[in-house]
Amino acid sequence: MEYKLDRNVHSLLDPRTKLLLLFTSSVFVIGNAGETWMYVFYWILVYLPVLLLFAEKEWKSGLIAIAIYVGSYYAQLALRHDLTALESALALMLYIITKILPTIILARYIVKTTKVSEFLTAMNRMHVTDKLTIPISVIFRFFPTVIEESRAINDAMRMRGIEMGANKASEAIEYRMVPLIASCSIIGEELSAAAMTRGLDVGKKRSCIWKIRFRVLDLIIIALCLICFIWWGIGRFFT
Amino acid sequence: MKNDNRLNAKDLINVGIYTAICAVICCAVAMTGVIPIMMVLLIVFVPILTGIPYMMFLTKVKKFGMILILNVLMGALMWVTGMSYYALIVGTLSGLIAEFIYRAGDYKSKKCGIIAYAVSGIYCWANYFGIFFNAEAYFSTRQNFGQEYIDSVTSMLPMWMCPVLLVVDLVCGIIGGWIGTKVLRKHFEKAGIA
Repeated sequence: MEYKLDRNVHSLLDPRTKLLLLFTSSVFVIGNAGETWMYVFYWILVYLPVLLLFAEKEWKSGLIAIAIYVGSYYAQLALRHDLTALESALALMLYIITKILPTIILARYIVKTTKVSEFLTAMNRMHVTDKLTIPISVIFRFFPTVIEESRAINDAMRMRGIEMGANKASEAIEYRMVPLIASCSIIGEELSAAAMTRGLDVGKKRSCIWKIRFRVLDLIIIALCLICFIWWGIGRFFT
Repeated sequence: MKNDNRLNAKDLINVGIYTAICAVICCAVAMTGVIPIMMVLLIVFVPILTGIPYMMFLTKVKKFGMILILNVLMGALMWVTGMSYYALIVGTLSGLIAEFIYRAGDYKSKKCGIIAYAVSGIYCWANYFGIFFNAEAYFSTRQNFGQEYIDSVTSMLPMWMCPVLLVVDLVCGIIGGWIGTKVLRKHFEKAGIA
């Protein structure tokens, strides 16, 4: 049976394509495999996530990402000479930003545009076991929650005057960690109750209201990823 | 119940939650690796700080496989965030061993829990493999930190440090697990969460 949805809520890419792209990006942008040989692909992989954000009409976050990236890239280039210790720490920080930012943007894009049920269905098609996919989807759902909670707890502790440096370090850590874990475990209990209600535990095959299949854009991006790996292989073994 | 020993959704969600907490703590601590001396001390701080959530997680573990999944996921996260794939391999193996250790204690014994935590935390140590076995490639991507940074890191990590770091990691894991159990007893068992 096919459902008609009121509006087209599809994201542009299939979840599987997104994961392949994330993997490629983490190998070639963060891992810096191939280095100068992969120059062209490196830049494609750096700016592709921003293009994807634009394609989803996320103009603001895309522009901010480009601004941060370009800024820290050139600042990092400018710092390339004999460095004092402080400058070296700064350069390292900028370097980490330029390495990790493209992949973070990509991950953010993926989390924002992929629905949990879409992800589970796509993974199911690839015959990945539930035992990995459910924790992964929980992790992605949970990252923002953990950060939000810890920020709130941090504020509360600051109000009580419990800060790093002001008190004993062990106290400062304990008073942050314990409430964080307590509240997270309670949220987790609620989450698993909600999942139970939706029948995650039934053990039958799940159905999904969204149609999941590869489209033209998916094929283009998969081809790009494959070319990246092939080109890298050529550079590695034949030159 | 006939499927009592299979992991159900609740267990898997628990795994996800505690992986997320551990990963956030790891990330927050690892940011300090910018300073050369902290780069080495990470192996002290990460096991001690993730001890509390991990021991909490162990109280929820009653079935085979949960520790293994947590370790695989942590390893995969390390890989994606640019450490190296060593963490994934070592994490999988150590998770399996930890699984057996904790099962030997019937999923209850605190002592076995602490040892299991120390063993499973070895993936921290695996992150240093890049520096030990593949130093040139490791630093070729980091030329622009300045020679000073490279020198200070390499001088602190000669080859013989590799086994030493493993021991340090295990000891810190035991300390972290011990602190974790104490904190659990002090806060959570009274509150009835653990």
